[in-house]
This record gives sequence, structure tokens and C-alpha cells, in this order.
Amino acid sequence: MFEKILVGIDGSEGSKKALAAAIAIAKRFGAELQSISVKERPSHYAATVGEVMEDQEEVNKFFAHVTEEALDLAKKEGVLMQCEVRAGHEVQVIIEFARQVHFDLLVVGFMGHSRVFDRIWGGTSQNLTKTAPCSVLVVK
Amino acid sequence: MNIWLVASLWVGLALAASMLSIRLGMAVALVEIGVGVLAGNLLHITPNDWINFLAGFGSILLTFLAGAEIDPDVLRANLKESLVIGTVGCLSPAIGAFSVAYWILHWNFQSAAICGIALSTTSVAVVYAVMIETGLNEKEIGKVILSACFVNDLGTVVILGLLFANYNRWLAAFVVLTGVVLWSLPAVTGWYFRKVGNRVSEPEIKFVLFILFILGGMAGIAGSEAVLPAYLIGLVLARQFLHNRVLMHRMRAIAFSILTPFYFLKAGSLVAVKSLVSPLAIIIVVGLLAVKMVTKFIAVMPSTLAFRFGRRKSLYTTLLMSTGLTFGTISALYGFSHGYIDRQQYTWLVTVVILSAIVPTLIAERFFRPGDESPTEPVAVALVAAGNRAESEA
Repeated sequence: MFEKILVGIDGSEGSKKALAAAIAIAKRFGAELQSISVKERPSHYAATVGEVMEDQEEVNKFFAHVTEEALDLAKKEGVLMQCEVRAGHEVQVIIEFARQVHFDLLVVGFMGHSRVFDRIWGGTSQNLTKTAPCSVLVVK
Repeated sequence: MNIWLVASLWVGLALAASMLSIRLGMAVALVEIGVGVLAGNLLHITPNDWINFLAGFGSILLTFLAGAEIDPDVLRANLKESLVIGTVGCLSPAIGAFSVAYWILHWNFQSAAICGIALSTTSVAVVYAVMIETGLNEKEIGKVILSACFVNDLGTVVILGLLFANYNRWLAAFVVLTGVVLWSLPAVTGWYFRKVGNRVSEPEIKFVLFILFILGGMAGIAGSEAVLPAYLIGLVLARQFLHNRVLMHRMRAIAFSILTPFYFLKAGSLVAVKSLVSPLAIIIVVGLLAVKMVTKFIAVMPSTLAFRFGRRKSLYTTLLMSTGLTFGTISALYGFSHGYIDRQQYTWLVTVVILSAIVPTLIAERFFRPGDESPTEPVAVALVAAGNRAESEA
């Protein structure tokens, strides 16, 4: 049923649940599994270049750790996974990547925000569900 | 209020700015200026002598760090392009903003000169941050742009340091001493760093601060500005700091924890919001921002096209080089603290400088961002490779 699965991971509890679900589905259907992590854009209004570089190094370390953990989990379950880390707005980047590589399932964790935030901006998972070019599974 | 309570107020504001910057995902400098504006206009905080000292020290160290962040080899490799783009990128807005302030706004010569200098800058850090996203910082064109930005700011610092100087024997002594120090500093510093090594008493940092203060003091006697030697010292020591990232990190930690917050909070606290609340003020602020962007466009766009950047990347580069923050506020604060501009003019200039950090970046990102260059992180690729290898071995 699913041949190419994309899972969004960011180290949060929600994304860990999404990863577990994505691994289980990939194992069940023998599908290709790919993770995507979206790191925030570097702050644009810094006073020094070093500040930006240090900030990026911290972010890179964090996502290296997140990716490593995800790979370990996939490996334990005997699933081969590829990982990608990109910079930008999380909804835009995930949707763009899903379109480029033609995934047929996107798995994301539920990201809870305040009601006011959701009403004004829409939740990330809600926006992904609306705009994704494939089926979306939001894991709670 | 006693000294410790004053300190707690200012450090409390710095702490609030840090927390806010983390929450908003914005760099702390801009938030500190914003908090300073609020504190200056609502709490009516005023800098005293020791706050002025810490703020001045912060601006010197910030300038030194900016100079030390350029890779001399990259600058040398792209010298022709960097010099051309950086020089025109500095002179065009300097002349344009000076002309508008002098002939249209009828500011006096010194005020108009400060206006020109404050708006001639670019922000290497802002440009770098935007380039990371597009991956341009790793490419040749990105390195040229960054080097050009550095040259642009060097031009600003040189004009600021020399335009208002007293042309007398003290200036001659300052120039000679600076020349000798800059010439000998790389070798002396290399030898000294090897000699003292890493010690808990941080003799390397004390040595650099000693040099910064000596030349800063001489610059003051000559009627020049301490940021001029600080930037040049940063440049000649860039190679040492490039290979000693721990030392650079320590200096940045000192600057950002205890010095630059005082500088940016002070710069914000001197902004008089009431000077912005009138149609005329809005016209002047928007007009000066437009002057900065148009004059950058006129100068930088043809230069980048001449160096075959292509139309989209040229527009993108031009917009990025229209940014400004650190050196713009340093120039405006210099003008205000030396009595060359009044508080109203200072408020207008700092507002334009802050807007110049935001508006060109937003336009560049929204309309002219070079596409399909979003970089994939090598770390992830390496991990995937490692993971796959482990998988196949299993």
C-alpha cells in the first residue's frame, strides 16, 4: 500500500511517536523510509558572524543527535532509513521535499500549540495535512 | 539608587532581552536595542559613567571580533572584486545620505557626515546568516560578497576614524604607532601565544585587550575613534583567531555576557520615541532608508553584474549589502556622544539603521532568494552512510 514513507523528526515526544509509527508501517509494507528534520533558519539580525556560526553548530549537533537516535531505532527494527536535515520553514521544507521525492505517506507527530496560536496560524501538523501532496498520518 | 541596584537593573534588562531573543528566535543585539528603547522611554534609565565605559568597551570588542572574523586568505583571493564592490558599496550611500541630510534636510556638515557614515555600512553578520540558508556562504560568490561586506565596513570605520580627527601631531603619532603595532602584531602575538599557552588567568585575552586599550586611548587623544584601531587589530590577528576557536569563543563570551548588552541597551535607551511620532519624522526615516537602499543599488548592482553574478543573485547581493546594524549604531552613537548630532537626529538614524537590518533582508528573502540551493547537511549524509553501512554489515 505504501512504498515511500517520509517521517518528520525534531527530537520532540510527538516526533518520536511518529518515528515509531513510521518504522512499524515501513516494516509492515516493506516500504522505503526517509526522515526529514527541519532546522530553524539562523537568526538574521546578529551582531557578529561568530554568533551565527556558534548558533548553527549547536543546532547541527542537536540534529546530528536526533538523526543518530532515529537511525538506531530503525536499525533495531531492521528497517533501512535515510535521513535529511534542511533549513527553513518546517511546513514549506517538508512539503517541498515530499513533492520532490514523490512520497506516498507523510508521518508527523502532533504538535500542540495554544488555541489562540492554532486559530491564528494553524498548527504545523494541520498545515502539513492541508498542503501535503500525499496521505498524511498525524500520530498523537 | 546604589551601584549594585543600578547594575541589577541593567543586567536585568539584558537578561530579559536574552530570554526574549530565545523566545522570538531573534539575535540578541536587536532585541537588546528594543528593550533599551522601552527602558529609556518608559523607565527613563540613563547611562552613567561606568555604564558608558562598559558600553564603549563593548563597542570596541564587538568591532575587534568583527575584524577577526574575516578569513584573510579569502579576502586576498577575492581582493579585486571585494575592493571594488565594498568600496562603492560604502562610498555611494555615504555620499548619497550626506547629500540628502546636508542639502535637503539642512543638517550641518558634521550631522550630515554622521548620517552618511551611519548609512554607509553593511552587516557582515546579517549577510552571513542569510547566506547559510542558501548555501552561498560555501560558494565562491558568497565568499566574494562577505569579503566585500568586510571592505565596506572597513571603509565606514576608516571614514569615522579620520573625518573627525584633529589633524595634528597626536594624529601623526597615532597613525605611526598604529602602523608599527599592526605590522608587528601578528608575529609578536604568535610568539606570545606560543609562549604563554592556555592558562586559567587568560594572558592571551589580557594581551589583546591591552593592545586595544592602548591604541584606543591614542585614537581618543588624536580625536579619532577607538573602533578604528580595534577593527584593524582584529584584521591582522584574524589568522591567529581563526586557528584558535576556543580563544575566540572566550572573547565572544566576555563580550556578549557583560559588555555588548550595555552597548546595545544604551544605544536603544537614547532613542526618543516621541521624535518618531510625527508625519515629518516618518517621512525622514522612510526617506533615509530609501536613500540607503537606492544608493547601494546604484553602486553594488552594476559591480555585481560586471563580476557575472547574474541578475537574480546581483539583486539579492545588493539587498543584502543594504543591511546594517552594528557599525550603523556605533557611528550614530559616536555622533551623539560627541555632540555632532542631537537626540532627534540620533533617534532617526538608529531607527533607519534598525530598519535597514530588517527591510532589505525581508525583501531579499521574499522575492529574490536564489532557488534550489537549500543545503543538505553533511552530518546527516554521513550518518546515513554510517547507518547503511552498519545495516549491510548486519
